[in-house]
Amino acid sequence: MLDKGRVLDADAAARAQGVVDGMRRGGVLTLAPNADLRERELAREEQTVRGVAFALLQFTPNVVIAAENVVLADVSASLRLFGGLRALRWQIHRVVADFGVTCTQALAPTAEGSWLIARAGGGVALTQRSLARALARIPLTILPAARRFADWFDGLGCSTIDDVTRLPRAGLKKRCGTALLEALDRAKGEAPEVHEWLTMPPAFDARVELPDRIEHVEATLFAARRLTLQMTGWLAARQLAVARFVVSLEHERGRAAIAPTEVEVALGEPTWHEEHLMRLLRERLARIELVAPVIALRLEAKDVREAEAPSESLFPEPGGTPQDHARLMELLVARLGSENVMKPAPVADFRPEVAARWVPVSSDARPASTDLPRDLPRPAWLLDVPIQLIMRGHRPFYGTPLRMVSPGERIECGWQDDHIVTRDYFVAESENHLHYWIFRERVGSRDEREPRWFLHGLFG
Amino acid sequence: MTQPLLNVEAIHPDLWRASQLGSAHGRVVASGHARLDAELPGRGWPTGALTEVILPQPGCGELRLLKPALETVASRPVFMLQPPHRLQPAAFTWWGIEPENLRVLKAPTTADCLWAAEQILRAGTAGALLFWQQQVRPEALRRLHLAAQRTDTLLFLFRPTAAAASTSPAPLRISVEAVAGGLNISFIKRRGPHRDEPVFVALSPTPVLLNRHAPLDRRSSATPAHREFLPNLVHAGV
Repeated sequence: MLDKGRVLDADAAARAQGVVDGMRRGGVLTLAPNADLRERELAREEQTVRGVAFALLQFTPNVVIAAENVVLADVSASLRLFGGLRALRWQIHRVVADFGVTCTQALAPTAEGSWLIARAGGGVALTQRSLARALARIPLTILPAARRFADWFDGLGCSTIDDVTRLPRAGLKKRCGTALLEALDRAKGEAPEVHEWLTMPPAFDARVELPDRIEHVEATLFAARRLTLQMTGWLAARQLAVARFVVSLEHERGRAAIAPTEVEVALGEPTWHEEHLMRLLRERLARIELVAPVIALRLEAKDVREAEAPSESLFPEPGGTPQDHARLMELLVARLGSENVMKPAPVADFRPEVAARWVPVSSDARPASTDLPRDLPRPAWLLDVPIQLIMRGHRPFYGTPLRMVSPGERIECGWQDDHIVTRDYFVAESENHLHYWIFRERVGSRDEREPRWFLHGLFG
Repeated sequence: MTQPLLNVEAIHPDLWRASQLGSAHGRVVASGHARLDAELPGRGWPTGALTEVILPQPGCGELRLLKPALETVASRPVFMLQPPHRLQPAAFTWWGIEPENLRVLKAPTTADCLWAAEQILRAGTAGALLFWQQQVRPEALRRLHLAAQRTDTLLFLFRPTAAAASTSPAPLRISVEAVAGGLNISFIKRRGPHRDEPVFVALSPTPVLLNRHAPLDRRSSATPAHREFLPNLVHAGV
């Protein structure tokens, strides 16, 4: 990693070949000819840190982006909710790892103190005494206010913060100004700290550039997860729940621009659970076909509502909550498609094929009349296309000769929408005791042909 | 000499004699047919376990067999996964079940179908899951059975007659056959003694509305069982 032509960071393999910080490009290529040199991109670094800060909002509303890629979060009020310090640190670690970056965590009673410890390699200082011990060991070069006077301190033989605090205060103030002393006082908790907390944008719209052109949808899931984490952080901080969001997969820009593929996910029940959103997205993304390689991903929360406070009942009812059911239905719709997940919406009509209507669960169609007749024998299974039956000895025949076991039911309906049916329905029993619902079409007196018999239903 | 144990079931609920019916830990839904309940381990359809129903063809009364059980769980959603034909909500109204909570799912592939079944079981919100499938691999069945064990959902898998011969991890497997006035249920596998003769279950409501000719038309009245006695009677007469 190069910054202005100088080595900023290098991996273990490069260091083994002799690459050190501050080396020039030519020097690196002499030592390691096939080294992979990358220029530092401040904008992307900033974007990543911002993303992490947003994701941390799910743990505490007080998050601030500090200098030198440090994110400070005030967790003092969050410890109990997230199950203690150790659990919280582990969760933060996992969230940050999802962004594809590593982190060092530092914990201290003061923000300045934890900043210093984090820059020096991380650690935990829970009390004032352990904070003082930890600060004392920190090299002076870490402290930004002391860097200007690095040579002078070197001449004095001061290498750690402890050495500086032992110097006379008045003289130090005269030589180095107030900034250094103030920073040290803030770190020790002797001076108040003022933070400008991260403010939430009123709408959520985040975008992430992918490192490469991606042709498989599965590969974009990693980026989608980063965006989802940011969104759940934003939702948690604003106490909102998302009801509809759009993921746009951006393709080629510029001259050969292709319109982005948009995946809209509408939720039946507003949620702010990252896990559920991710499962839905995974199923939805797996179903789409990419028209072109994806170069960027964008997530936009379209419809947000006030989040309902979670309520834990003392005796959970068996069979899950309505929310569980809504979540299940969303998941099924996401994978199978809305046309394959159906609920009944019977229509008050005499024609069985019209009456037995099924609509997608997501549609709002209500049954026209919920009061269906209760005394009509209807078979459970209805054939979509009636099967014409052959006749043997003046009896309809389906496997075996059929015998009528019910009086006829005349259905004559449909003149109003041009699907007229004139049928006489019977229940027929075959010789192996299966019951069928068959009909004889009624022919007008002018028709020359014999009435035909059809099989239309099975008594399940 | 050790005394033979009298009550093995008192040692552990998972133990039973070969002549006894096993228990289902009380997690059953009554089948609604007294004669069938008497033959089912735990006296009812087991919840949280895979139950296989072998059908010669759809439409031989399989749903009316489950009707009383579905009535019990109808307050929760009832899922029908990959049904063979279109389901008529009017039929459920006729039986006295509100069709409001029915959900029909169709899956384009077997993998989707099994995935959907697993998700439904995992969510645990369903009262019953009825699942039609022609070809299922044994490992998929095992997975379904495992998923079912964590819930209190009734899980029925309807399979064609050809599947009766293959092995299955389901603890209860029955095959049904339509007879006059109802169904004959034979047990392929159950936690209990082997039973050869089928159990007759009368189905209600019956679509047979005409019974004027029933005494004349009943074909089962002339069963060969009676004929065996005839020669003896003839001899006795001579």
